[in-house]
Amino acid sequence: MNFTRRNFLQSIPVAGLFAACSKASKIRLALNWKPDPEFGGFYAADYAKHGLDVDILPGGAGTPTVQMIGAGSTEFGIVAADEVLLARAQGNDVVALFAVFQHNPMGIMVHASRKLESIGDVLKSGTLAIQSGLPYARLLQKKFGFDRVRVVPSPGGDLTAFLHDENFAQQCFVMAEPLQAKRRGVEVKVFPVSDIGYDPYTTVVAVGGDLLRKNSDMANHLVAAVRDGWRAYLDNAAPANEKMHALNPTIDAASFAEIADAQKGLIESNPLGKMTKERWDTLASQLKSLGDIKDVPPADQCFRDL
Amino acid sequence: MRKAIPAVIPFLVVTVALEWLVDAGWIKAFLMPPPSAVLQTMVRDWPELFAALAKTSAGALLGFLLSAAGGIAIAIFLSSSRAIQEAFYPYAVFFQTVPIIAIAPLLVIWFGYGMRTVVASAFIVSIFPVIANTLNGILSTDPALRDMFRLYGASPSATLWKLRLPAALPQILTGLRIAGGLAVIGAIVGEFIGGQGLGSVVDIARTQQRTDKVFAAVLLASVLGLALFGFINLLSRLALRRWHASEQ
Repeated sequence: MNFTRRNFLQSIPVAGLFAACSKASKIRLALNWKPDPEFGGFYAADYAKHGLDVDILPGGAGTPTVQMIGAGSTEFGIVAADEVLLARAQGNDVVALFAVFQHNPMGIMVHASRKLESIGDVLKSGTLAIQSGLPYARLLQKKFGFDRVRVVPSPGGDLTAFLHDENFAQQCFVMAEPLQAKRRGVEVKVFPVSDIGYDPYTTVVAVGGDLLRKNSDMANHLVAAVRDGWRAYLDNAAPANEKMHALNPTIDAASFAEIADAQKGLIESNPLGKMTKERWDTLASQLKSLGDIKDVPPADQCFRDL
Repeated sequence: MRKAIPAVIPFLVVTVALEWLVDAGWIKAFLMPPPSAVLQTMVRDWPELFAALAKTSAGALLGFLLSAAGGIAIAIFLSSSRAIQEAFYPYAVFFQTVPIIAIAPLLVIWFGYGMRTVVASAFIVSIFPVIANTLNGILSTDPALRDMFRLYGASPSATLWKLRLPAALPQILTGLRIAGGLAVIGAIVGEFIGGQGLGSVVDIARTQQRTDKVFAAVLLASVLGLALFGFINLLSRLALRRWHASEQ
Protein backbone atom coordinates (compact mmCIF):
# COMPACT_ATOMS: atom_id res chain seq x y z
CA MET A 1 0.00 0.00 0.00
CA ASN A 2 1.20 3.44 -0.87
CA PHE A 3 1.52 5.80 2.05
CA THR A 4 -0.66 8.64 0.79
CA ARG A 5 -1.25 11.99 2.30
CA ARG A 6 -4.58 10.77 3.59
CA ASN A 7 -2.87 7.86 5.37
CA PHE A 8 -0.47 10.28 6.87
CA LEU A 9 -3.23 12.55 8.13
CA GLN A 10 -5.07 9.56 9.55
CA SER A 11 -2.00 8.46 11.39
CA ILE A 12 -1.51 11.79 13.12
CA PRO A 13 -4.11 11.28 15.84
CA VAL A 14 -2.66 7.85 16.55
CA ALA A 15 0.84 9.24 16.80
CA GLY A 16 -0.54 11.95 19.04
CA LEU A 17 -2.12 9.35 21.25
CA PHE A 18 1.17 7.53 21.58
CA ALA A 19 2.93 10.75 22.40
CA ALA A 20 0.30 11.58 24.99
CA CYS A 21 0.60 8.15 26.58
CA SER A 22 4.35 8.22 26.84
CA LYS A 23 4.06 11.67 28.38
CA ALA A 24 1.41 10.53 30.86
CA SER A 25 3.64 7.77 32.19
CA LYS A 26 5.83 10.47 33.73
CA ILE A 27 4.44 10.96 37.21
CA ARG A 28 5.01 13.88 39.54
CA LEU A 29 5.81 13.88 43.23
CA ALA A 30 5.44 17.36 44.71
CA LEU A 31 7.46 18.24 47.81
CA ASN A 32 6.31 20.90 50.28
CA TRP A 33 9.82 22.22 50.89
CA LYS A 34 13.22 22.43 49.23
CA PRO A 35 15.27 19.24 48.87
CA ASP A 36 16.55 18.38 52.35
CA PRO A 37 17.12 15.24 54.40
CA GLU A 38 13.43 15.15 55.28
CA PHE A 39 12.96 13.94 51.67
CA GLY A 40 16.14 11.83 51.43
CA GLY A 41 14.39 8.55 50.66
CA PHE A 42 12.56 10.06 47.71
CA TYR A 43 15.85 11.06 46.13
CA ALA A 44 17.43 7.71 46.98
CA ALA A 45 14.62 5.72 45.39
CA ASP A 46 15.20 3.84 42.13
CA TYR A 47 11.84 4.46 40.47
CA ALA A 48 12.83 2.92 37.15
CA LYS A 49 13.34 -0.42 38.87
CA HIS A 50 9.66 -0.30 39.77
CA GLY A 51 8.64 0.66 36.25
CA LEU A 52 8.01 4.32 37.05
CA ASP A 53 9.32 7.57 35.64
CA VAL A 54 9.05 10.02 38.52
CA ASP A 55 9.66 13.76 38.43
CA ILE A 56 10.28 15.17 41.92
CA LEU A 57 9.03 18.76 42.14
CA PRO A 58 10.75 20.73 44.91
CA GLY A 59 8.52 23.16 46.81
CA GLY A 60 8.94 26.17 49.05
CA ALA A 61 7.18 28.06 51.81
CA GLY A 62 3.48 27.40 51.57
CA THR A 63 3.51 25.10 48.53
CA PRO A 64 -0.10 23.87 48.65
CA THR A 65 0.67 20.22 47.85
CA VAL A 66 -2.63 18.99 49.23
CA GLN A 67 -4.55 21.30 46.90
CA MET A 68 -2.23 20.46 44.01
CA ILE A 69 -3.16 16.81 44.39
CA GLY A 70 -6.85 17.72 44.44
CA ALA A 71 -6.45 19.92 41.37
CA GLY A 72 -4.57 17.19 39.50
CA SER A 73 -1.48 19.34 39.02
CA THR A 74 0.55 16.57 40.62
CA GLU A 75 -0.12 12.86 40.97
CA PHE A 76 1.57 12.42 44.34
CA GLY A 77 2.46 14.98 46.96
CA ILE A 78 4.05 15.28 50.37
CA VAL A 79 1.61 16.39 53.06
CA ALA A 80 1.08 16.02 56.80
CA ALA A 81 -1.62 13.78 58.23
CA ASP A 82 -3.59 16.69 59.67
CA GLU A 83 -3.67 18.30 56.23
CA VAL A 84 -5.25 15.14 54.83
CA LEU A 85 -8.04 15.31 57.40
CA LEU A 86 -8.68 19.01 56.81
CA ALA A 87 -8.65 18.49 53.04
CA ARG A 88 -11.07 15.57 53.19
CA ALA A 89 -13.43 17.57 55.39
CA GLN A 90 -13.55 20.17 52.58
CA GLY A 91 -14.34 17.63 49.90
CA ASN A 92 -10.76 17.31 48.63
CA ASP A 93 -10.42 13.55 48.22
CA VAL A 94 -6.80 12.96 49.22
CA VAL A 95 -5.55 9.65 50.58
CA ALA A 96 -2.35 9.00 52.56
CA LEU A 97 -0.14 6.14 51.38
CA PHE A 98 3.19 6.21 53.19
CA ALA A 99 4.27 8.06 56.33
CA VAL A 100 7.97 8.86 56.45
CA PHE A 101 7.97 10.40 59.92
CA GLN A 102 6.30 8.13 62.42
CA HIS A 103 6.55 10.87 65.00
CA ASN A 104 6.01 14.58 64.62
CA PRO A 105 9.41 16.23 64.03
CA MET A 106 7.97 19.63 64.92
CA GLY A 107 9.28 21.19 68.09
CA ILE A 108 9.77 24.47 69.88
CA MET A 109 13.32 25.66 70.30
CA VAL A 110 14.37 27.99 73.13
CA HIS A 111 17.65 29.38 74.41
CA ALA A 112 19.04 26.91 76.95
CA SER A 113 20.07 29.83 79.14
CA ARG A 114 16.42 30.45 80.00
CA LYS A 115 16.36 27.14 81.89
CA LEU A 116 12.80 26.30 80.88
CA GLU A 117 11.54 22.86 81.86
CA SER A 118 8.48 22.24 79.72
CA ILE A 119 6.50 23.50 76.77
CA GLY A 120 4.15 25.16 79.25
CA ASP A 121 7.06 27.29 80.53
CA VAL A 122 7.70 28.55 77.00
CA LEU A 123 4.24 30.08 77.01
CA LYS A 124 4.79 32.00 80.21
CA SER A 125 7.03 34.76 78.87
CA GLY A 126 8.94 36.18 75.93
CA THR A 127 8.10 35.76 72.27
CA LEU A 128 7.01 32.62 70.45
CA ALA A 129 7.22 32.37 66.65
CA ILE A 130 4.83 29.73 65.33
CA GLN A 131 2.43 29.18 62.46
CA SER A 132 -0.70 30.07 64.39
CA GLY A 133 -2.90 28.34 61.81
CA LEU A 134 -1.47 24.91 62.54
CA PRO A 135 -3.58 22.66 64.77
CA TYR A 136 -0.79 22.17 67.30
CA ALA A 137 -0.56 25.92 67.80
CA ARG A 138 -4.23 26.12 68.65
CA LEU A 139 -3.92 23.07 70.88
CA LEU A 140 -1.15 24.91 72.74
CA GLN A 141 -3.36 27.96 73.02
CA LYS A 142 -6.23 25.89 74.33
CA LYS A 143 -4.02 24.13 76.87
CA PHE A 144 -1.90 27.00 78.17
CA GLY A 145 -3.35 30.22 76.76
CA PHE A 146 -1.39 32.83 74.83
CA ASP A 147 -1.97 35.73 77.20
CA ARG A 148 1.52 35.82 78.72
CA VAL A 149 3.58 35.14 75.62
CA ARG A 150 3.84 37.27 72.50
CA VAL A 151 2.92 35.13 69.50
CA VAL A 152 4.43 36.18 66.18
CA PRO A 153 4.55 34.52 62.74
CA SER A 154 7.12 31.80 62.18
CA PRO A 155 10.06 33.02 60.10
CA GLY A 156 10.42 29.57 58.47
CA GLY A 157 13.95 28.29 58.96
CA ASP A 158 15.40 31.78 59.44
CA LEU A 159 17.22 32.21 62.75
CA THR A 160 17.95 35.95 62.69
CA ALA A 161 15.40 36.93 65.33
CA PHE A 162 16.15 33.87 67.46
CA LEU A 163 19.88 34.54 67.60
CA HIS A 164 19.23 38.19 68.29
CA ASP A 165 16.87 37.82 71.25
CA GLU A 166 17.36 35.44 74.15
CA ASN A 167 13.66 35.40 74.99
CA PHE A 168 12.67 34.40 71.48
CA ALA A 169 11.29 30.86 71.06
CA GLN A 170 10.69 29.41 67.64
CA GLN A 171 8.90 26.57 65.92
CA CYS A 172 11.43 24.19 64.40
CA PHE A 173 12.14 20.76 63.04
CA VAL A 174 13.78 19.05 65.99
CA MET A 175 16.63 17.76 63.84
CA ALA A 176 17.28 20.87 61.73
CA GLU A 177 17.18 24.38 63.21
CA PRO A 178 18.62 23.44 66.64
CA LEU A 179 21.69 22.17 64.82
CA GLN A 180 22.03 25.44 62.92
CA ALA A 181 21.65 27.43 66.15
CA LYS A 182 24.36 25.39 67.88
CA ARG A 183 26.66 26.00 64.93
CA ARG A 184 26.13 29.72 65.44
CA GLY A 185 27.21 29.34 69.05
CA VAL A 186 23.84 29.30 70.81
CA GLU A 187 22.99 26.53 73.24
CA VAL A 188 19.36 25.53 72.73
CA LYS A 189 16.76 23.34 74.32
CA VAL A 190 14.04 21.74 72.21
CA PHE A 191 10.57 20.69 73.29
CA PRO A 192 8.96 18.30 70.81
CA VAL A 193 5.34 19.14 70.04
CA SER A 194 4.50 15.48 70.63
CA ASP A 195 5.02 16.32 74.34
CA ILE A 196 1.51 17.75 74.39
CA GLY A 197 0.14 14.62 72.75
CA TYR A 198 -0.06 16.03 69.24
CA ASP A 199 1.71 13.52 67.07
CA PRO A 200 0.47 13.35 63.46
CA TYR A 201 2.35 11.46 60.79
CA THR A 202 4.34 13.91 58.71
CA THR A 203 6.15 13.88 55.35
CA VAL A 204 3.34 11.65 54.18
CA VAL A 205 3.04 10.59 50.53
CA ALA A 206 -0.54 11.22 49.42
CA VAL A 207 -2.52 10.71 46.24
CA GLY A 208 -5.91 11.73 44.90
CA GLY A 209 -8.69 9.24 45.63
CA ASP A 210 -9.68 9.11 41.97
CA LEU A 211 -6.23 8.18 40.77
CA LEU A 212 -5.89 5.59 43.53
CA ARG A 213 -9.12 3.85 42.49
CA LYS A 214 -8.32 3.99 38.76
CA ASN A 215 -4.68 3.06 38.97
CA SER A 216 -3.93 1.40 42.27
CA ASP A 217 -1.03 -0.40 40.59
CA MET A 218 0.80 2.86 40.07
CA ALA A 219 0.31 3.73 43.74
CA ASN A 220 1.54 0.28 44.79
CA HIS A 221 4.66 0.62 42.67
CA LEU A 222 5.37 4.10 43.96
CA VAL A 223 5.04 3.03 47.58
CA ALA A 224 7.34 0.05 46.97
CA ALA A 225 9.92 2.31 45.31
CA VAL A 226 9.69 4.89 48.09
CA ARG A 227 10.00 2.23 50.78
CA ASP A 228 13.14 0.82 49.13
CA GLY A 229 14.43 4.35 48.75
CA TRP A 230 14.02 5.12 52.43
CA ARG A 231 15.64 1.84 53.42
CA ALA A 232 18.60 2.75 51.23
CA TYR A 233 18.74 6.28 52.64
CA LEU A 234 18.65 5.11 56.23
CA ASP A 235 21.47 2.68 55.51
CA ASN A 236 23.60 5.12 53.55
CA ALA A 237 22.49 8.70 53.14
CA ALA A 238 25.56 9.92 51.27
CA PRO A 239 24.56 9.41 47.59
CA ALA A 240 21.12 11.02 47.92
CA ASN A 241 22.53 13.80 50.11
CA GLU A 242 24.97 14.67 47.37
CA LYS A 243 22.14 14.84 44.86
CA MET A 244 20.03 17.05 47.15
CA HIS A 245 22.94 19.28 48.11
CA ALA A 246 23.44 20.05 44.42
CA LEU A 247 19.78 21.07 44.19
CA ASN A 248 19.76 22.96 47.48
CA PRO A 249 23.22 24.34 48.27
CA THR A 250 21.84 26.47 51.14
CA ILE A 251 22.33 23.45 53.41
CA ASP A 252 25.96 22.43 53.60
CA ALA A 253 27.12 18.86 53.13
CA ALA A 254 27.95 18.32 56.81
CA SER A 255 24.47 19.44 57.89
CA PHE A 256 22.91 17.06 55.38
CA ALA A 257 24.77 14.17 56.96
CA GLU A 258 24.04 15.25 60.53
CA ILE A 259 20.33 15.84 59.98
CA ALA A 260 19.97 12.55 58.12
CA ASP A 261 21.49 10.83 61.11
CA ALA A 262 19.46 12.73 63.70
CA GLN A 263 16.11 12.01 62.07
CA LYS A 264 16.54 8.21 61.90
CA GLY A 265 14.74 7.55 65.17
CA LEU A 266 11.64 9.38 63.99
CA ILE A 267 11.49 7.34 60.78
CA GLU A 268 12.42 3.72 61.55
CA SER A 269 9.42 1.42 61.69
CA ASN A 270 8.45 -2.00 60.53
CA PRO A 271 7.64 -1.81 57.72
CA LEU A 272 8.81 1.68 56.81
CA GLY A 273 5.97 4.11 56.16
CA LYS A 274 3.48 2.18 58.25
CA MET A 275 0.32 3.83 59.56
CA THR A 276 -2.31 2.60 61.99
CA LYS A 277 -6.02 3.20 62.32
CA GLU A 278 -5.66 4.13 65.99
CA ARG A 279 -3.26 6.97 65.30
CA TRP A 280 -5.53 8.37 62.57
CA ASP A 281 -8.52 8.14 64.90
CA THR A 282 -6.66 9.97 67.69
CA LEU A 283 -5.63 12.73 65.32
CA ALA A 284 -9.13 13.06 63.92
CA SER A 285 -10.65 13.42 67.40
CA GLN A 286 -8.05 16.06 68.27
CA LEU A 287 -8.95 18.04 65.17
CA LYS A 288 -12.62 17.63 65.99
CA SER A 289 -12.09 18.95 69.51
CA LEU A 290 -10.40 22.00 67.97
CA GLY A 291 -13.41 22.53 65.73
CA ASP A 292 -11.35 22.06 62.54
CA ILE A 293 -13.49 19.19 61.32
CA LYS A 294 -17.11 18.40 62.11
CA ASP A 295 -16.98 14.60 62.20
CA VAL A 296 -14.34 11.97 62.75
CA PRO A 297 -14.08 10.25 59.36
CA PRO A 298 -13.55 6.49 59.06
CA ALA A 299 -9.78 6.06 59.20
CA ASP A 300 -9.69 3.64 56.27
CA GLN A 301 -10.84 6.46 53.98
CA CYS A 302 -7.94 8.65 55.04
CA PHE A 303 -5.09 6.25 54.48
CA ARG A 304 -4.48 3.12 52.45
CA ASP A 305 -2.34 0.39 53.88
CA LEU A 306 -0.48 -0.86 50.85
CA MET B 1 -24.11 56.96 41.11
CA ARG B 2 -24.89 56.28 37.47
CA LYS B 3 -21.18 56.22 36.76
CA ALA B 4 -20.80 53.19 39.03
CA ILE B 5 -23.16 51.02 36.99
CA PRO B 6 -20.70 50.04 34.20
CA ALA B 7 -18.23 48.85 36.86
CA VAL B 8 -20.82 46.84 38.75
CA ILE B 9 -21.92 44.82 35.71
CA PRO B 10 -18.64 42.86 35.22
CA PHE B 11 -18.56 42.19 38.96
CA LEU B 12 -22.06 40.71 38.90
CA VAL B 13 -21.38 38.67 35.76
CA VAL B 14 -18.18 37.18 37.18
CA THR B 15 -19.82 36.49 40.55
CA VAL B 16 -22.82 34.73 39.04
CA ALA B 17 -20.66 32.78 36.59
CA LEU B 18 -18.30 31.66 39.35
CA GLU B 19 -21.17 30.58 41.57
CA TRP B 20 -22.64 28.62 38.70
CA LEU B 21 -19.33 27.00 37.68
CA VAL B 22 -18.64 25.82 41.23
CA ASP B 23 -22.22 24.69 41.69
CA ALA B 24 -22.11 22.66 38.47
CA GLY B 25 -18.87 21.02 39.59
CA TRP B 26 -16.66 22.57 36.89
CA ILE B 27 -14.52 24.22 39.54
CA LYS B 28 -13.80 22.48 42.82
CA ALA B 29 -14.93 24.46 45.83
CA PHE B 30 -11.69 23.79 47.75
CA LEU B 31 -9.68 25.42 44.94
CA MET B 32 -11.99 28.36 44.25
CA PRO B 33 -14.70 28.94 46.83
CA PRO B 34 -18.10 29.99 45.45
CA PRO B 35 -18.92 33.68 46.06
CA SER B 36 -21.79 32.65 48.34
CA ALA B 37 -19.35 30.82 50.65
CA VAL B 38 -17.06 33.85 50.72
CA LEU B 39 -20.01 36.06 51.60
CA GLN B 40 -21.11 33.68 54.36
CA THR B 41 -17.61 33.69 55.82
CA MET B 42 -17.50 37.46 55.57
CA VAL B 43 -20.73 37.72 57.59
CA ARG B 44 -19.85 35.02 60.13
CA ASP B 45 -16.28 36.20 60.79
CA TRP B 46 -17.06 39.90 60.41
CA PRO B 47 -15.78 41.07 63.84
CA GLU B 48 -12.43 39.35 63.26
CA LEU B 49 -12.20 40.47 59.63
CA PHE B 50 -13.20 44.04 60.43
CA ALA B 51 -10.62 44.35 63.20
CA ALA B 52 -8.01 43.00 60.76
CA LEU B 53 -9.15 45.41 58.06
CA ALA B 54 -8.84 48.33 60.48
CA LYS B 55 -5.25 47.34 61.32
CA THR B 56 -4.29 46.86 57.68
CA SER B 57 -5.91 50.17 56.75
CA ALA B 58 -3.93 51.98 59.44
CA GLY B 59 -0.66 50.36 58.32
CA ALA B 60 -1.26 50.94 54.62
CA LEU B 61 -2.42 54.52 55.14
CA LEU B 62 0.54 55.46 57.33
CA GLY B 63 2.97 53.85 54.88
CA PHE B 64 1.24 55.66 52.04
CA LEU B 65 1.37 59.06 53.76
CA LEU B 66 5.07 58.59 54.52
CA SER B 67 5.68 57.62 50.89
CA ALA B 68 3.75 60.63 49.65
CA ALA B 69 5.59 63.08 51.88
CA GLY B 70 8.99 61.38 51.56
CA GLY B 71 8.64 60.71 47.84
CA ILE B 72 7.75 64.31 46.99
CA ALA B 73 10.52 65.66 49.24
CA ILE B 74 13.10 63.34 47.69
CA ALA B 75 11.96 64.28 44.18
CA ILE B 76 12.29 68.00 44.99
CA PHE B 77 15.78 67.35 46.30
CA LEU B 78 16.71 65.34 43.21
CA SER B 79 15.37 68.03 40.90
CA SER B 80 17.64 70.68 42.43
CA SER B 81 20.56 69.86 40.17
CA ARG B 82 21.58 67.41 37.51
CA ALA B 83 24.62 66.32 39.53
CA ILE B 84 22.50 65.45 42.57
CA GLN B 85 20.09 63.59 40.37
CA GLU B 86 22.88 61.56 38.79
CA ALA B 87 24.38 60.82 42.20
CA PHE B 88 21.22 59.76 44.04
CA TYR B 89 18.56 58.66 41.58
CA PRO B 90 20.04 55.15 41.16
CA TYR B 91 19.57 54.65 44.91
CA ALA B 92 15.92 55.59 44.65
CA VAL B 93 15.53 52.77 42.17
CA PHE B 94 16.70 50.49 44.97
CA PHE B 95 13.30 50.94 46.60
CA GLN B 96 11.61 49.61 43.53
CA THR B 97 13.71 46.50 43.29
CA VAL B 98 14.12 45.49 46.92
CA PRO B 99 12.59 42.03 47.37
CA ILE B 100 10.66 42.78 50.50
CA ILE B 101 10.27 39.10 51.44
CA ALA B 102 14.04 38.62 51.41
CA ILE B 103 14.68 41.41 53.89
CA ALA B 104 11.63 40.54 55.97
CA PRO B 105 13.51 39.00 58.90
CA LEU B 106 15.64 42.14 59.06
CA LEU B 107 12.62 44.43 59.03
CA VAL B 108 11.41 42.56 62.08
CA ILE B 109 14.75 43.06 63.83
CA TRP B 110 14.92 46.76 62.93
CA PHE B 111 11.33 47.69 63.60
CA GLY B 112 10.03 44.91 65.84
CA TYR B 113 6.92 42.79 65.33
CA GLY B 114 3.71 44.68 64.73
CA MET B 115 2.71 47.99 63.22
CA ARG B 116 6.13 49.54 62.59
CA THR B 117 7.26 46.65 60.38
CA VAL B 118 3.98 46.86 58.47
CA VAL B 119 4.35 50.60 57.90
CA ALA B 120 7.98 50.18 56.86
CA SER B 121 7.05 47.50 54.36
CA ALA B 122 4.20 49.60 52.90
CA PHE B 123 6.55 52.58 52.68
CA ILE B 124 9.42 50.73 50.97
CA VAL B 125 7.12 49.21 48.39
CA SER B 126 5.20 52.39 47.56
CA ILE B 127 7.70 55.25 47.60
CA PHE B 128 9.36 54.77 44.21
CA PRO B 129 6.41 55.66 41.95
CA VAL B 130 5.96 58.89 43.92
CA ILE B 131 9.63 59.83 43.46
CA ALA B 132 9.71 58.92 39.78
CA ASN B 133 6.47 60.64 38.81
CA THR B 134 7.06 63.77 40.88
CA LEU B 135 10.57 64.17 39.50
CA ASN B 136 9.30 63.71 35.98
CA GLY B 137 6.59 66.31 36.59
CA ILE B 138 8.98 68.86 38.06
CA LEU B 139 11.49 68.41 35.27
CA SER B 140 8.93 68.78 32.52
CA THR B 141 7.71 72.22 33.59
CA ASP B 142 6.99 74.36 30.53
CA PRO B 143 10.34 76.06 29.66
CA ALA B 144 8.55 79.21 28.54
CA LEU B 145 6.99 79.61 31.99
CA ARG B 146 10.32 78.90 33.64
CA ASP B 147 11.91 81.64 31.57
CA MET B 148 9.16 84.03 32.54
CA PHE B 149 9.75 83.33 36.28
CA ARG B 150 13.43 84.00 35.71
CA LEU B 151 12.77 87.22 33.81
CA TYR B 152 10.70 88.53 36.71
CA GLY B 153 13.47 87.54 39.13
CA ALA B 154 11.44 84.94 41.07
CA SER B 155 13.37 83.27 43.91
CA PRO B 156 14.06 79.50 43.66
CA SER B 157 11.53 78.78 46.40
CA ALA B 158 8.87 80.87 44.69
CA THR B 159 9.60 79.03 41.44
CA LEU B 160 9.24 75.72 43.24
CA TRP B 161 6.02 76.51 45.11
CA LYS B 162 4.29 78.67 42.52
CA LEU B 163 5.39 77.00 39.32
CA ARG B 164 7.17 73.68 39.42
CA LEU B 165 5.12 71.81 42.02
CA PRO B 166 1.75 73.00 40.72
CA ALA B 167 2.83 72.11 37.20
CA ALA B 168 3.90 68.67 38.43
CA LEU B 169 0.58 68.00 40.21
CA PRO B 170 -0.94 65.76 37.54
CA GLN B 171 2.14 63.52 37.58
CA ILE B 172 2.35 63.61 41.38
CA LEU B 173 -1.23 62.42 41.57
CA THR B 174 -0.49 59.63 39.10
CA GLY B 175 2.39 58.57 41.33
CA LEU B 176 0.11 58.62 44.36
CA ARG B 177 -2.51 56.51 42.59
CA ILE B 178 0.09 53.80 41.91
CA ALA B 179 1.53 54.14 45.42
CA GLY B 180 -1.91 53.66 47.02
CA GLY B 181 -2.37 50.16 45.61
CA LEU B 182 1.24 49.25 46.33
CA ALA B 183 0.95 50.45 49.94
CA VAL B 184 -1.90 47.99 50.51
CA ILE B 185 0.18 45.15 49.05
CA GLY B 186 3.21 46.25 51.08
CA ALA B 187 1.17 46.39 54.28
CA ILE B 188 -0.16 42.88 53.75
CA VAL B 189 3.29 41.49 52.99
CA GLY B 190 4.52 43.25 56.14
CA GLU B 191 1.71 41.63 58.06
CA PHE B 192 2.76 38.18 56.89
CA ILE B 193 5.99 38.69 58.81
CA GLY B 194 4.94 41.28 61.38
CA GLY B 195 1.85 39.34 62.34
CA GLN B 196 -1.41 41.29 62.39
CA GLY B 197 -4.26 42.47 60.19
CA LEU B 198 -5.50 40.92 56.97
CA GLY B 199 -2.04 39.50 56.16
CA SER B 200 -2.14 37.43 59.30
CA VAL B 201 -5.72 36.32 58.57
CA VAL B 202 -4.66 35.19 55.08
CA ASP B 203 -1.59 33.40 56.45
CA ILE B 204 -3.57 31.50 59.08
CA ALA B 205 -6.53 30.71 56.82
CA ARG B 206 -4.15 29.35 54.19
CA THR B 207 -2.58 26.98 56.71
CA GLN B 208 -6.05 25.80 57.64
CA GLN B 209 -6.98 25.30 53.96
CA ARG B 210 -9.79 27.82 54.41
CA THR B 211 -9.84 29.25 50.88
CA ASP B 212 -13.18 30.94 51.59
CA LYS B 213 -11.58 32.99 54.35
CA VAL B 214 -8.50 33.73 52.25
CA PHE B 215 -10.76 35.17 49.56
CA ALA B 216 -12.84 37.11 52.09
CA ALA B 217 -9.65 38.76 53.37
CA VAL B 218 -8.33 39.39 49.86
CA LEU B 219 -11.64 40.97 48.90
CA LEU B 220 -11.44 43.33 51.88
CA ALA B 221 -7.88 44.22 50.90
CA SER B 222 -9.05 45.16 47.43
CA VAL B 223 -11.86 47.24 48.90
CA LEU B 224 -9.21 49.07 50.89
CA GLY B 225 -7.14 49.58 47.75
CA LEU B 226 -10.20 50.88 45.90
CA ALA B 227 -11.06 53.27 48.71
CA LEU B 228 -7.55 54.70 48.66
CA PHE B 229 -7.72 55.00 44.89
CA GLY B 230 -11.08 56.75 45.14
CA PHE B 231 -9.72 59.17 47.71
CA ILE B 232 -6.80 60.12 45.47
CA ASN B 233 -9.14 60.54 42.52
CA LEU B 234 -11.21 62.91 44.59
CA LEU B 235 -8.11 64.91 45.48
CA SER B 236 -7.14 64.92 41.85
CA ARG B 237 -10.56 66.26 40.82
CA LEU B 238 -10.45 69.01 43.40
CA ALA B 239 -6.94 70.05 42.49
CA LEU B 240 -7.03 69.78 38.73
CA ARG B 241 -10.53 70.36 37.46
CA ARG B 242 -10.03 74.08 36.85
CA TRP B 243 -6.99 73.83 34.67
CA HIS B 244 -5.94 70.33 33.60
CA ALA B 245 -7.42 68.41 30.70
CA SER B 246 -7.39 65.07 32.55
CA GLU B 247 -10.11 66.19 34.96
CA GLN B 248 -12.26 68.35 32.69
